[in-house]
Amino acid sequence: MVFNFSSTNIAAHMTLRRIVDRSPSFNRLHLIVLLIFILSFHGCTGIREVIDNLPLQRYQVEMIEKNDFLIEKDDDVIGRVAIIRIEKDDTLPDIARHFGLGINTISAANPDIDIWVPEAGERILLPMSFILPDTHREGIVINLAAMRLFAFYGNGDPLAVSTYPVGIGTAERPTPTGQMHVTHKKSRPTWYVPASIAEEHRQKGDPLPPEVPPGPLNPLGEHALYLNKPAYLIHGTNKPASIGLRATNGCIRLYPEDVKRLFENSPVESPVNIVYQPYLVGQRDGIVYMEVHKPFDASDTTELKKAYTTLRNIEENSGYTLDWPKVEAVVAEARGFPVPISEGSNPGVNGVLEAIELAHPGNLYGQPEIPELETDAWYVLAAILDDKVDAKRLAAIINHQGPQIPARVVSRGGRHRVLAGPFNTRSAADDAAKRLRIDLEIDGLLIEP
Amino acid sequence: MKKCLLLVSTMLVLAIALGGCATRRDLEEVQAREKAISAKADQAAQDAQDAKAAADEAVLKANEAAARAEEAAKNAEEREKIAAEKERIAEEKLRLAEEKLKLAEEKAELVEAAFKKSMKK
Repeated sequence: MVFNFSSTNIAAHMTLRRIVDRSPSFNRLHLIVLLIFILSFHGCTGIREVIDNLPLQRYQVEMIEKNDFLIEKDDDVIGRVAIIRIEKDDTLPDIARHFGLGINTISAANPDIDIWVPEAGERILLPMSFILPDTHREGIVINLAAMRLFAFYGNGDPLAVSTYPVGIGTAERPTPTGQMHVTHKKSRPTWYVPASIAEEHRQKGDPLPPEVPPGPLNPLGEHALYLNKPAYLIHGTNKPASIGLRATNGCIRLYPEDVKRLFENSPVESPVNIVYQPYLVGQRDGIVYMEVHKPFDASDTTELKKAYTTLRNIEENSGYTLDWPKVEAVVAEARGFPVPISEGSNPGVNGVLEAIELAHPGNLYGQPEIPELETDAWYVLAAILDDKVDAKRLAAIINHQGPQIPARVVSRGGRHRVLAGPFNTRSAADDAAKRLRIDLEIDGLLIEP
Repeated sequence: MKKCLLLVSTMLVLAIALGGCATRRDLEEVQAREKAISAKADQAAQDAQDAKAAADEAVLKANEAAARAEEAAKNAEEREKIAAEKERIAEEKLRLAEEKLKLAEEKAELVEAAFKKSMKK
């Protein structure tokens, strides 16, 4: 069924540009003043109140490292926590990608924030700090629980590490743990569709060819590192919003810009160690930290018991005194970033006191662009909704499909239409409608020019 | 004989005189007593009347108080009914809000599930 499009409301989407505040370097005096100010909130306020009342200076986003770190000897913690203020049209997946995080990490750190329609002006945590997995620091190490990859370079002191968020296998097709290595690499790889996946797609009315050549429809993206375990790869993606999700068939996915760097810096034969460590304990500058990720199986307490053993050993053997109530709180909250747990350490709320506020960048890297409305193009009406936020959420999800399907909300008469498009041809509109039906179970209506 | 008659007559006259005097005194006494008694009676009557009036007044006041109490009880009952109705409406609103929230959460979960499913190969 088709009908003429006659909307008169065209929303102009402007990306707000922030004038960067070139402030002086963060120094000890500022830290002390900050500490005194924040101590007045200690014990009475939740993390939201602390974030909202932090009187922090702003820094350019370039001033905080997101991927590449040097590890001082005996240190286990890299990076730092930051805070940023949401601007209009931001989504958490876009912010996550810009700051080298997965959707899992940013949403676990900000559980009360709407992933797709966060409120402009709200400040959120950017947990750009990580405890290194408890394993040999060599080659590529992937912690499935954190959905994070660490690539170690060199063997000197300090050791260099690059870290990237990853997407991993589903519960039905999990990524295996264990020691592997890279057997070969390929740029612009062809995807040879496994029989089981071909059958799945066939059943949902989306038959796949036996091979998918390089291009926007190839789920492997532009680079692939093949592992000695057959059919398991580390590769890019055409669905960047899937990084931080359990959405693959067992492979490891990275953002396109991250897999390119890994591809270039990881030789064939690089060891690859895939571990599952939801409870991480480490130290930096004499402070013990704990980082907890929600376990895949809440009923399995094996890893938790291991963590408590580690903590007791630390207390017994290293002279640290741990704040056990805080340990329990960190375990319960599972916020996914390092929190100081040794007594006498920073009294802040979940490490927020160590955060700095970042100026919002002019543009978020990889943020989907939405073409201007055109009256002589095809569209697909995905939904008409009474609630504008619901409509914006649906439009954001459609925009973040891989490949992108541009979508927007057009409001009139108190109702909000989610329109996918513009498309130059009916065929392109048909394809988009088919993808909406298969991937999102949306029966869209074609709207002709 | 004449002396006896004279004595008797004299005694009779004396008695009558004395008796007349006695009667007058008695009468005065009686009158005084009557007056006193009348005064007492009047007072008693007045007292009784006053008491009755007071009693009537008390009854009236009691009736008025009873009427007021009844009125107050009716008003309280009315207010209770209104409060109960308001509470029922508030509970209904809360229930509807909770249902709406639950539906919104279910919708959000479905949307998120659809999004995660769409992110698979």
